[in-house]
Amino acid sequence: MTARRGRAEPSSAKKGPLSQIPTWDAATGGVVLARLGPRPPLSFFTPAEEAAAGPLLDLLLARRHDDPPIPVLPVIDARLAAREFEGWRFADMPEDDEAWRRSLAALDEETKVRHDGRTFGQVTHGDRHRLLRHIQDLGSHDWYGMPAGHVWTLWSRYACTAYYAHPYAWEEIGFGGPAYPRGYLRLGRGTREPWESPPAEEPATETDC
Amino acid sequence: MEGPMSGKRWWRPATGTLRETLRPQGDVRARNASAWLPHVTRLRSDMRRFEDDDEVDMVVVGCGAGGATFTQRLAHAGWRVVCLEAGPFWDPEHDWVSDEAGSRHLYWNEPRVIGGSHPVPLGANNSGRGVGGSMVHFAGYTPRFHPSDFRTRSQDGVGADWPIRYEQLRPYYERLERELPVAGQYWPWGDPHPHPHAPHPVGGNGEVMLEGCARLGIRARVGPVAIANGRFGNRPHCIYRGFCLQGCKVDAKASPLITHVPDAITHGAEIRDGAMATRVVMDAAGRRATGVAYVREGRERVQRARAVAVAGYSIETPRLLLNSAGPGHPHGLANGHDLVGRYVMVQGAPQTAGRFPDEIRMYKAPPPEVSSEEFYETDPAKPYRRGFSIQTVSPLPITWAEHVAAQGHWGADLRSRMRDYVHWATLGALCEFLPQPDNRVTLADETDRLGLPVARFDHSQCANDDMLMEAAQKVMEDILRAAGAGELMTIGRYAHLVGGCRMGRNPEEGVVDSDLRTFAVPNLFITDGSVLPTQGSANPALTIMALADRAADRLVHGRVPEAPARKAARR
Ligand SMILES: Cc1cc2nc3c(=O)[nH]c(=O)nc-3n(C[C@H](O)[C@H](O)[C@H](O)COP(=O)(O)OP(=O)(O)OC[C@H]3O[C@@H](n4cnc5c(N)ncnc54)[C@H](O)[C@@H]3O)c2cc1C
Ligand code: SF4
Repeated sequence: MTARRGRAEPSSAKKGPLSQIPTWDAATGGVVLARLGPRPPLSFFTPAEEAAAGPLLDLLLARRHDDPPIPVLPVIDARLAAREFEGWRFADMPEDDEAWRRSLAALDEETKVRHDGRTFGQVTHGDRHRLLRHIQDLGSHDWYGMPAGHVWTLWSRYACTAYYAHPYAWEEIGFGGPAYPRGYLRLGRGTREPWESPPAEEPATETDC
Repeated sequence: MEGPMSGKRWWRPATGTLRETLRPQGDVRARNASAWLPHVTRLRSDMRRFEDDDEVDMVVVGCGAGGATFTQRLAHAGWRVVCLEAGPFWDPEHDWVSDEAGSRHLYWNEPRVIGGSHPVPLGANNSGRGVGGSMVHFAGYTPRFHPSDFRTRSQDGVGADWPIRYEQLRPYYERLERELPVAGQYWPWGDPHPHPHAPHPVGGNGEVMLEGCARLGIRARVGPVAIANGRFGNRPHCIYRGFCLQGCKVDAKASPLITHVPDAITHGAEIRDGAMATRVVMDAAGRRATGVAYVREGRERVQRARAVAVAGYSIETPRLLLNSAGPGHPHGLANGHDLVGRYVMVQGAPQTAGRFPDEIRMYKAPPPEVSSEEFYETDPAKPYRRGFSIQTVSPLPITWAEHVAAQGHWGADLRSRMRDYVHWATLGALCEFLPQPDNRVTLADETDRLGLPVARFDHSQCANDDMLMEAAQKVMEDILRAAGAGELMTIGRYAHLVGGCRMGRNPEEGVVDSDLRTFAVPNLFITDGSVLPTQGSANPALTIMALADRAADRLVHGRVPEAPARKAARR
């Protein structure tokens, strides 16, 4: 998910989590607002891995041209470069950085076998989609030396963590964001704070990017 | 099930609650003044420091639920105590954030390997690191165990009997509930009891659970949570911001960092942060512990002590003991009967979510709101033994995305379900999985940054475990449907860790005795969650604290036969 030139920033921020920035504490603001700023260049993924990871993440998260500009690939790259793993790995999987490298290579390998030597990044959207569906359906079966299900959760965990950490994603789902020191006053079903907005409208059907 | 209260007892909850609420707090303050002292961040600058060569009375490894409680009690009684903590000494205002992804530094993220037929993810799911331990980011539920939990073997033919009875722990439950303090309605299950603070108001998720349970005639209660309701000493009221699992910046939710460390520091204990224990140091014959080796700022050092308590939780405590093999202990310290690292338990924690037409906004208010222990005990009509409890859980967006993705949703499907976040309510169960010898911690071949072998945790479910998961899911689905839910989604999960160095009546049965002292080494104690022989379906933190409190109480009053510190002092 890279070029999204010409797209307006998501909200006018009269309501929703970004309207509340002035109420956040400094430590939280520092961490969250950094996600809106520039990102360092990639340092973990090789160009070939990047070419596979980009379309993979776009598909897992169904990114669209009119999506808010939420960086996912650069965030995962930075995490893996800093070795910020999760405190565990499956005994039948390598450590997360190695698992990413191996699974992206496997993705290209599998695509090449099925599509005359073309890589994952070179085939059509529909072909990629079918391939991912196939991998998901493998469940706990082996896929290039790793259980497919464990590869799948690795991908989706990293993708979801990067995407749903972003304030634009919070606007999309109607989440209030940081709430210290303000807190909430209106608890209970069907109640909203004056600044809380409903989730974003479901966009009209359009092909994913 | 809800029914008219039996004739003459109806007033008990009312008077019990009234008495508890009106109780003067003088004894609490005399025992533990933490809530009335200046903030821990300020106390720290004047903290007493010991030299490595000072032979302190006790060195404690780990400053979490068990370690911090034990440290405070001993220091309060005048013992000279150093507590080594691998993680940082938190300053809530600057180190914690009101944000999910920005809180990963609270967890134990060092490498660990998980295996078995049902591997249990660690890290954010169950292990903290830093002063306050896992309670820094625990949800805050603080139920007691039921009396039946202490004798499941003789009563239900499964699990193990504890070497102590519930009644021996009750006074410690009571005093800790007052120190945290615990807020909630009168508790009708197990040993019925009132709570010191009134129940909190509930948000949308809590309303759903109360309504669904009411419709089905299942008793549900608000609480019990270690979150002050009203001012408690210098600690302020909860602001209902919902980030309890990211560390409470407000200081409304209890963690040892604010509930026991302040009093420990004012009584001369040293909490040494950034100090990763690598080995318990023994005398040449391997009979007595003489201190703990640890790495701080890149240097290995040894803190000398008359006695040692290990409180690193169910993964790190066995790992430390296994890494401390030496003369007299070839297979790991106190592991003569091959029990160290065995019988590690997690609770099966299936999570069921329901979609409602109106907005629930489950992220508002603390995730721990309402619970039911209606299904806690063995039901003879059921094919399984023991039971489960049901509680509200309120995942924030990233955890919620994992919930949705774990259902197999991805792409446009995932995004559109996520867009619906504010309409979902989520319940979680805690199923009492049974202790099994092969659910165990061992050392893996790989090493960490310090060159120490990392822990490997293998876990598999037994048939009883599977049946509990299914039964709990069914009840949660019924509750959500009764409250008006349309679509439902359930994922399988695990929560909490206990066991790994269980207590028993003799060395064949346990690593430690009921005083939490190892059978193998008279001046080595284990004062954390790893000593639990069974886990009930209650969240474990309060019980871990109560066990550490009881052990410390008996130690300082000389009730531990041949109290090792004394014996050493007589030398
Ligand atoms: C997300 C989450 C939610 C939870 N919710 C609840 C809940 O609602 N209610 C409840 O009762 N429980 C809950 N728990 C569980 C509860 O927090 C733990 O059971 C409890 O804190 C364990 O206490 P402990 O003393 O055994 O270990 P901990 O509190 O984990 O303390 C162990 C400490 O030892 C340190 N340590 C480990 N090894 C070393 C070493 N070698 N050298 C130095 N230091 C070391 C660690 O850094 C850590 O600080 C939750 C846990 C998590 C993760
Ligand atoms: S909801 Fe209350 S207890 Fe939980 S983190 Fe916020 S202020 Fe603390």
